[in-house]
Amino acid sequence: MKASKTYLAACLKAAVVFIVLTAGLFAEAADKENCIMCHKYRFVGRIDEDGKKINYNVNENTYARSVHRNVPCRDCHTYITKLPHDPVTEEVNCANQCHVKPPFSDENFSHQKIIETYNQSVHGIKPEDSPELKQAKPYCKYCHFNPLYERVDEKRIAFEETLLRCQNCHEQKGVTQAYQHITHRLRHKTSRSPQQIVRLCAKCHQDMELMQKLKASDVSLTAVKTYNRSIHGQAVMLGSQEAADCVSCHATSALHDIYKKDEEKATVHKDNLQTTCKQCHVKTNKRFIQIAVHSDITRKEKPALYFIRTSLHLALYGTVFSLLGLLLLETCGRKKDGLKWQIRRGTTWRGKSKRTPETKRS
Amino acid sequence: MPGEPERLDHPVYVYLIFIAMLITMLAILAGVVYHFALSPHGPAIAAPLKAKYEKKHASAILEEARRLEELEIHRHFHNITPFPQLAENERPVCFICHSDYPHSKSKKVRSLLNMHTQYFVCETCHIKEKEGARIVYKWYNPFDDDPQGPFFGTSYDPETGNLVEVDDLISKIAAFFINKDKLESTLQIQDAPLALDYMKVRDKLTPEQRDSVKKKFHVNIKPKGHDCKICHSKEGLLDFEKLRFSENRIVDLEQLNIKGMITKYEEFYLPNLFQESKPEDSKAKDAGKPRL
Repeated sequence: MKASKTYLAACLKAAVVFIVLTAGLFAEAADKENCIMCHKYRFVGRIDEDGKKINYNVNENTYARSVHRNVPCRDCHTYITKLPHDPVTEEVNCANQCHVKPPFSDENFSHQKIIETYNQSVHGIKPEDSPELKQAKPYCKYCHFNPLYERVDEKRIAFEETLLRCQNCHEQKGVTQAYQHITHRLRHKTSRSPQQIVRLCAKCHQDMELMQKLKASDVSLTAVKTYNRSIHGQAVMLGSQEAADCVSCHATSALHDIYKKDEEKATVHKDNLQTTCKQCHVKTNKRFIQIAVHSDITRKEKPALYFIRTSLHLALYGTVFSLLGLLLLETCGRKKDGLKWQIRRGTTWRGKSKRTPETKRS
Repeated sequence: MPGEPERLDHPVYVYLIFIAMLITMLAILAGVVYHFALSPHGPAIAAPLKAKYEKKHASAILEEARRLEELEIHRHFHNITPFPQLAENERPVCFICHSDYPHSKSKKVRSLLNMHTQYFVCETCHIKEKEGARIVYKWYNPFDDDPQGPFFGTSYDPETGNLVEVDDLISKIAAFFINKDKLESTLQIQDAPLALDYMKVRDKLTPEQRDSVKKKFHVNIKPKGHDCKICHSKEGLLDFEKLRFSENRIVDLEQLNIKGMITKYEEFYLPNLFQESKPEDSKAKDAGKPRL
């Protein structure tokens, strides 16, 4: 309780500082050039010469709920130099500086720092990568849509009540925006749910054809399958918000610093495993980290585990299907005896059996 | 046994309990069968069969279309918002061949022209005038003979300045002929006898026969639509007020030129695009002109 109060107080302080420092920005419209005038329409787009459908719609109401809502369009789309503009042939560079100044800083904001981290990671394009690998590696937009502000779980912070208190002194718009900006980030590690993270990573890592083409290791090839079978995967599949997803184990709080497990910087490198597991399993020790998370139980590699698992499967299916079989045999037998199946007058079976003496049946 | 009291019918709650238990048991059975047959957590004994079925019914075109859709979602970045789409048979006949992005010839303006498909059916711009008949424009909705709105894009939200979000995203402005006070739709719907017949036999027709039928669909359609100023001006073709556009929205739509759009397009791109068409213009096969 005390911890949550401290947490709330810290959030509020941060919100107030954020509002004071960025008040000027909120007052300015992000769409000075009125790009939305054309782009707000749903079917502004075309099917190009290669048969690719390209849609240029930016829903103005959705954009107003996004984290980029105060960023002028041309801060990202720098190649637009006149309006109406020429057909776009360039891509947005997320490392560009935009005209939004973060709190406590005189410099314009940029994603440069996180991009540098990303470029060093296993997903960053390296000179030695094959052309297929370069092509397959995800770029910023592949994983990130324009993130929308979502309220943090109401159980943790009473959003409406807290905001009402802020509005005693502050203007509603600024306070709401700043508050949303902060609470949006107040999640375990990422603003996405574990289910979203697993789905995102699986998009590529589950694609066996792609992974084989990229010469992924055997462990990588089955990574999604083995994760889904693991206790973490099953808990996430059942809707857990606490269980470990891909990012929980494979990245630090920088989120983009994912490395191959042989690299020393990797969170799943044998020397770092204990720290990584300790994020959730406080009593982690050297024996604990020997438990395989992506465990593929094969007869050849893990015969004992394979035998135990197969036995348990047999016990489960044996029980269920034997019971069903018995019911089926019983039903057939009774039918053969001339009994009728009906849910009336106290029993499901009525009539006289051909084999049973008349006196024993009512 | 003789002398035993006869069993009576069970009370209703017993049957309700029975039904609940039956549903539970069937759900468990379905779960076990799924776990046994297909689930990634079980032995997946039916997985090879599923893979075989999928392989048999695979289509390279469909897969490529899905891949491109997926790529477009990622390229787009700005959260593509869901938009209600009518089923194929509820759309006008134009959609048998054309999509919501029908304009593709003029690179400079094709996206802007396609933007209008949110508001218009094809005939609104492309219907041929008929002698003795006047054209009026009304909102058309396939499920409602007299849609009342509010329609998308007709007013601004006074708080945000954005277009008001509305429920009716289906209605579009359509052209109607008035002939002796009788309102006659210019729209060719898929329930029309020609369209129904075509859909029934199109796979049996030769390419030439198909072309011939398609021509029939285009009898009353002119290839070049209206120029922008025909609607986007004070004396425009569309009576925005009657079409229930709000006052400030009408000002913006009628005075697009004041905002600079049309002038800038004239200056930068297509000097002739926004001018009134001359008779010979419609015959010209200029690739720069938007055409279906």
